[in-house]
Amino acid sequence: MRKYAVIYRSVLMENMQYVMNIFMGFISYFMFIFVFIHLWNYMYSSPGELISGYTREQMIWYTMITEMMWFGAGSGTVSRQAAKDIRSGNIAYLMNKPYHYTLYILAKHAGEWSIQLPMYAVLATVMGITMVGSLPDFHAITLLAVIPCIILGITINAVFKLCISLISFWIEDSNPFQWLYDKLLLIVGTIFPIEIFPAQMQPFLKLTPIYTVCYGPAKLIVDFDMGKCVEILVVQIIYLAAGCSLMFFIYGKGGKKLYVNGG
Amino acid sequence: MKAIQAEGLAKTFRVKQKEKGMKGSIQSVFHPKTEEVRAVDGVSFSVEEGEVLAFIGPNGAGKSTTIKMLTGILYPDGGKVEVLGIDPVKKRKQLAYQIGTVFGQKEQLWTHLTPYDNFKFFAAIYDIPEREADARIRELGETFALGAFINTPVRNLSLGQRIRCEIVASLIHRPSVLFLDEPTIGLDPVVKENIRQLIKQMNKEFHTTIFLTSHDIGDIEKLCKRIIIVNAGRIVLDDSMQNLKYHYLNKKIVEMKLQEETTLAPMQGIAVLKEKGCHVKLEVDTTKMRINDALAHIDAEHVEDINISNVPLENIIMEIYKSEKGADGGLA
Repeated sequence: MRKYAVIYRSVLMENMQYVMNIFMGFISYFMFIFVFIHLWNYMYSSPGELISGYTREQMIWYTMITEMMWFGAGSGTVSRQAAKDIRSGNIAYLMNKPYHYTLYILAKHAGEWSIQLPMYAVLATVMGITMVGSLPDFHAITLLAVIPCIILGITINAVFKLCISLISFWIEDSNPFQWLYDKLLLIVGTIFPIEIFPAQMQPFLKLTPIYTVCYGPAKLIVDFDMGKCVEILVVQIIYLAAGCSLMFFIYGKGGKKLYVNGG
Repeated sequence: MKAIQAEGLAKTFRVKQKEKGMKGSIQSVFHPKTEEVRAVDGVSFSVEEGEVLAFIGPNGAGKSTTIKMLTGILYPDGGKVEVLGIDPVKKRKQLAYQIGTVFGQKEQLWTHLTPYDNFKFFAAIYDIPEREADARIRELGETFALGAFINTPVRNLSLGQRIRCEIVASLIHRPSVLFLDEPTIGLDPVVKENIRQLIKQMNKEFHTTIFLTSHDIGDIEKLCKRIIIVNAGRIVLDDSMQNLKYHYLNKKIVEMKLQEETTLAPMQGIAVLKEKGCHVKLEVDTTKMRINDALAHIDAEHVEDINISNVPLENIIMEIYKSEKGADGGLA
């Protein structure tokens, strides 16, 4: 594992030189959240009203947390970069090193989000406290249980996105699949919590990665429950194991189909 | 012991074909057509430990595909390959610890990090303990004279400095075999010569087997004792540099400045390459005519200045390429 830690550290060192770029992303985040604050303020006509079991503060904080994860862990490494490596044949020059290519990409991705995410967390906290108000019944101690859920959620998302990129071994362009996956995640689970959707859909949605990637960690922050936390952690571990197995399987099969043209 | 052993190595690619224009694009959606291209076609050779081998050929000959099969990147369709007794297909990761690769056209260094940080990174990748890594960086840094720029980000280095760092990064784990794919591409003559000297030194000091592909004849002439020429996926020549020169350098180029304009009588074994005023350039085939007889025929008394040289190795190799049919259609 030492070599993956070194990859992680190297990306961290590299990205520290580009911290200013992250601030540019803050503008998009601010605008997005600003719109949602006004939208939910309009939807909640009276104080204390509940929509699908969420108070106004919980609903806005939920969106801020999922969007924080979306922006903070967003990177082209597991999607565009991996797909490009395969299509351009550049993967050939990464495969001949004594590491597993997929774990190399995941370590690089981790190096990227571990700088971005804390910065977005600070922004989300400042925006939330000043524009929405603090979360009712929130205890900072619960973060000790929630942070591992956030890290697992981001990792599961990266594994699934990498699986989609690895399809590039067979097809010309995996971007349309990335787009579908992203939009599904954005609408069901990021912008709106699962409870907003019809009751018949909810059991199905809870079986998808959405439950573990964004809904679970954000739900635990706005409405912590130890039982729920354990349930989410267990599901995340199952998802991570299944996702990694799928990732190694696709990579193993795809690697044999690698086509590298030209010197 | 053999460092590399390849027997009947073959690789075929399926390449998409599309008719020209919009009609062709629509057709390719409903009836995609592919064509099989045999990039490497039953290549067999072996390389001894510590040998410096030139593996050359025109574009599309199958050189890079062969290297990629030897390093475990591509899976061969046929044949058998072993590098240091390891099957690259089955044990790519194990083999990676024993070999190094430098692709002149591809960067393996992290451009925003310094060479030192890069070397530390590669040392960790190859599971080299910290203290040992520092000692190797020091040793290679001295050999390759990296002292002046070892702490400068790679993106700020010149191409020559970067290539030196690329080679050091490939040597950090002391590989037994080093694959160099066009290591001097794009470099100026002085830096090229410097890199060649370093490669030579590395082969001598560390007894590293070197498998070199290059279009630069200077690299081949100055570094390699053996040459394999491939064309259209097949080996067309596998010989020592000495033999190649002995067998193919039987033609001499004679350039003369005569006292007065003369027309030379045609003679078997002498071909007039250029004739302009008093300047004459001839090619003498020494298998048909001794060089002394050729000079006698010219009438040396009227010669004001003369220069006799070998046919450039570049021309010999070009001739070998041309003599083989099917140079087109292969993949590199």
